[in-house]
Amino acid sequence: MTSTKPVQRRPRRGPLGARWVPYVFLAPAIAYVLLFQVVPLFQQMWISFTDAKLINPGAGRFIGFDNYVRIFTDEGFQRTLLITLIYVVVCVFGAVGIGLLVSLLLNGSFPGRAIARSLVTIPWAAPGVAIALIVSWMLNGQYGLFTRILGFFGIVVPPGGLLNDASTALPTILTITLWQLFPFSAIVLLSALQSVPQELVEATRMDGGGPLWVFRSATWPVIRPTVGLLLVLNAIWAIRRFELIWLLTRGGPVGSTRTLVIDLYSRGFESNDLGRAAAVGMVGLVISLLFVAGSSFVGRTPRRKEAVR
Amino acid sequence: MNRRYSPGVTVRTVVVLIVLGIVVLPLYWMFVTATTRKADMFGDTAQWWPDLTHLDAFQNVLSNGQVPIWIFNSLLVATGTTLISVMLAVPLGYALSRYKFRGRGSVQLLLLLTQMLPEALLVIPIFAIFKSLGLLNSQLGLILIDAALVLPIVALIIKGAIDGIPIEIEEAARTDGANPFRILWGIILPLIGPTVAAGAVIAFFSGWNEYLFAVTFTIDASVQPASVGLAGFIGELTTPLDSVMAVALMYTLPAIAFYFFTQRYVVAGVTAGGVKG
Repeated sequence: MTSTKPVQRRPRRGPLGARWVPYVFLAPAIAYVLLFQVVPLFQQMWISFTDAKLINPGAGRFIGFDNYVRIFTDEGFQRTLLITLIYVVVCVFGAVGIGLLVSLLLNGSFPGRAIARSLVTIPWAAPGVAIALIVSWMLNGQYGLFTRILGFFGIVVPPGGLLNDASTALPTILTITLWQLFPFSAIVLLSALQSVPQELVEATRMDGGGPLWVFRSATWPVIRPTVGLLLVLNAIWAIRRFELIWLLTRGGPVGSTRTLVIDLYSRGFESNDLGRAAAVGMVGLVISLLFVAGSSFVGRTPRRKEAVR
Repeated sequence: MNRRYSPGVTVRTVVVLIVLGIVVLPLYWMFVTATTRKADMFGDTAQWWPDLTHLDAFQNVLSNGQVPIWIFNSLLVATGTTLISVMLAVPLGYALSRYKFRGRGSVQLLLLLTQMLPEALLVIPIFAIFKSLGLLNSQLGLILIDAALVLPIVALIIKGAIDGIPIEIEEAARTDGANPFRILWGIILPLIGPTVAAGAVIAFFSGWNEYLFAVTFTIDASVQPASVGLAGFIGELTTPLDSVMAVALMYTLPAIAFYFFTQRYVVAGVTAGGVKG
């Protein structure tokens, strides 16, 4: 971290100009973020205590905690919370776990390593809408590629396809989501693996340590902080994820893929009930905040582990 | 030791090929579908390979009136998003990197907090604001919100790059009487060119890819970007699929191509700031 310390003899001027200079630099950006993210957040908080409807968002009446009471006594919402929990846990551990395995795989020597490392970013870079489009065709219950492949192995797909059945929709969505998520963890861990001391790896091998032992004693201590950071990041992103589920199932069939953000959007823009939607959103945000606060308390994750070098 | 040419390498190579196959499969299938004749598409067996004699779909979609409009709107939104976010992010990143000031911690906390706000949560209040400002159903509205969403990550990537530049360069310029704005513009900016380019790529494709605000805020086909247009084809089979997939491919490939070049900076910036790319 290279940040300047104030010059002691001339307290009103830092080495790069007067005291007000940094504020001039950051004021436009901060004002912009406040305007488009923080003001709406407070507005959202207010809407969650009103009965605002989509037709006239500003005209809601104050109704206290009514929206909150209603969503928490709603069985559908309890199911939504459970689905969100499953979704987030699978996303987080699945993405980081697969990412770790793939990074270890790509870290070894094999022909075409550089190309492989570039190609693996494809799922992460591809636009979500395009992925939803091709995947929905691949999952088509009659002519889809996956349906044909599964059929070849004698597995019969539900008539409307895997996304059209309440028991297979969530696992299918999760599989596609993990495909989208794992590359990020893989390439971040791949760069973390570069700082594992090779002498230590060699020495452990010489002592007769198997691959698992080498991983535990030489690799893991180095990459552990990065794994911690990735777990937190993936959790924050998993709670936010909207696009793929919305495009493929709209939260269905019969609510089996209805996560918190899907519930939020659907209440707002399908049921026109902005007040209740806002309350759902606030619940999601509080869960997110509690999780991050908790994990930074427990894990003490070093945030700035990998500066640009 | 014979590790280098052991069977281990062969096994590893095979596993890598399987992983890459899974990674590339949807994109490959997009291409195959785009080159498949309708008669073969709904047959009893799949057509497994692209039919390079049937590239009509790519020509057809470009002469279709709506596709160029979608692409144009996506380009417009993405370009606007890039201009606003990079212009605001460079000075912010510079201030965070080079200055200690009151409220610095709060600013960083604010940037972290923005990463935890689901877009689906912001969409309701911003819908209300845009409705009163008349910004619904316009590309400008999408530009304004997309730039706000991507600004923090671009700023953190740029901050990371400035952190890596020795401060002595600036101190010398300062002694020569250059003011901070000249220093940023004339000295720092040229030095962090590649990172600014990477930030621009991230901003561009976050605008290019964005769907939630676009589908909620735009109604007329004349202002809708390609993400909304393409999403309309999901799960429907009446529009010729080869044309749909040809458009999807044109929409997807630029994003992938640019990310190949910038992934290094994205990874560095994201892990440095703990923020989404």
